[in-house]
Amino acid sequence: MSEKKYSKDHEWIEIDNDIATIGITNHAQESLGDIVFVELPTIGKQVSSNEEVCVIESVKAASDIYTPIDGEIIEVNEKLNDNGALVNEDPENTAWIFKLKIKDPSQFNDLMSLTQYQEFLKTENK
Amino acid sequence: MPINYQKGILNEHLQVRESAGLFDVSHMGQILISINEKNTISLSKFIPLDFDKINFNRCYYSFLLNNDGGIIDDLIISKIKYQQKDFFYIVYNASRKKNDEEIFINNLNDYILLTNNSLLAIQGPNSEKIINFINESKNLFFMQTNTSNFLNKEIIISRTGYTGEDGFEISVPNDVSNQFIEILLENSLIKLCGLGARDSLRIEAGLSLYGNELNEKITPIEASLTWSLHKSRLNDESLNGNKILFNQLNGEIKNLKVGLKSISRTMLRSNTKIYNIDKNQIGYISSGTFSPILGSSIGIGYINKSEINNKIYILIRNNWEELSIVSLPFIQNRYKRGG
Repeated sequence: MSEKKYSKDHEWIEIDNDIATIGITNHAQESLGDIVFVELPTIGKQVSSNEEVCVIESVKAASDIYTPIDGEIIEVNEKLNDNGALVNEDPENTAWIFKLKIKDPSQFNDLMSLTQYQEFLKTENK
Repeated sequence: MPINYQKGILNEHLQVRESAGLFDVSHMGQILISINEKNTISLSKFIPLDFDKINFNRCYYSFLLNNDGGIIDDLIISKIKYQQKDFFYIVYNASRKKNDEEIFINNLNDYILLTNNSLLAIQGPNSEKIINFINESKNLFFMQTNTSNFLNKEIIISRTGYTGEDGFEISVPNDVSNQFIEILLENSLIKLCGLGARDSLRIEAGLSLYGNELNEKITPIEASLTWSLHKSRLNDESLNGNKILFNQLNGEIKNLKVGLKSISRTMLRSNTKIYNIDKNQIGYISSGTFSPILGSSIGIGYINKSEINNKIYILIRNNWEELSIVSLPFIQNRYKRGG
């Protein structure tokens, strides 16, 4: 049974047992505009929460992508290598960016639910 | 004008290359200057054109120059009859309005700042079909201009633009500009486009932008825009910076303006330093974007002439990435020349 949560840096994270799948939210892709390249992280790398893991380049700007949670990168979405625009098309589903094997599931509890994230967007846009 | 409308920069970019885009460039400066001796002498001090050779209904790409021959602004100047009077009509950059208008106000008499006119750019291969409700559009070739009427108001229509495509720029009084835009947008061949696409289109077309390729410390010759100078003026002491320009034209230039292309998947961004293989800085990227036509990131930059045949690099996120130097423009322009 998986559950989805959101970070203040506009990543979404879905956990299924000890595997977390991470991508950027629809709001994030809308603000970035046309995405042209995704520089994927290296498999096997240990990362800590709020560390920059990879970079998304849009026509407008380069943006760092952070991991919301600690873990080891075990898989990256190779589809994004040839088609960064997939992040614009389907950011919260087929355009996931990387998967982590997580250590501390309790970190997940610090993140926002969908309702909380939607509230957060309202305050952030003010 | 926004960075982009709903469909995004790349979509708008392709809209212009494949059909037509409408850019509301009303933020740009427009001035009508009465043609008289004092004004011609004053303009000749700043603008490197031979004013005796400027023809009616022609547009000229030129500059306002400072005492060192540096570019205060780049502009389009044309000579037109407007409301039965002879004028120079200048369109200049929004970002340089303050500097330009100070020069105009201090040096000219009898001029009209067209603050109540919108400026609309229609760009793309279908432009002439879209604008054919303005009769005068049919007799214009690239870099030609005329006046016409729309709802009993005088408008200025020029076959110019900054995307590398055929197109028109039209100065329309604000009180009828909404109606003008509505007529244009009734045509499904044209869509509104924003600043983002305007930038990526002009980079593909190899065109310079003030603040990126052009500034007060760069002369038109250093910016590889020598073609636009009327060379006879470089012997004329009344032109700002004439000696410097003369010497540059007959001597050596240190840096060259080049096209740059990403080899890997690195995005080129302005103000990025360019290095040689020994990791010495030899230039910089002045503009960068993604070209949906070429499917890679492209840019414009300045590099030391002696390095032009060598490998060049940028440092991105601690990685040395090689760039290739390519000739400008990235894509051939499709202006309707003639006449």
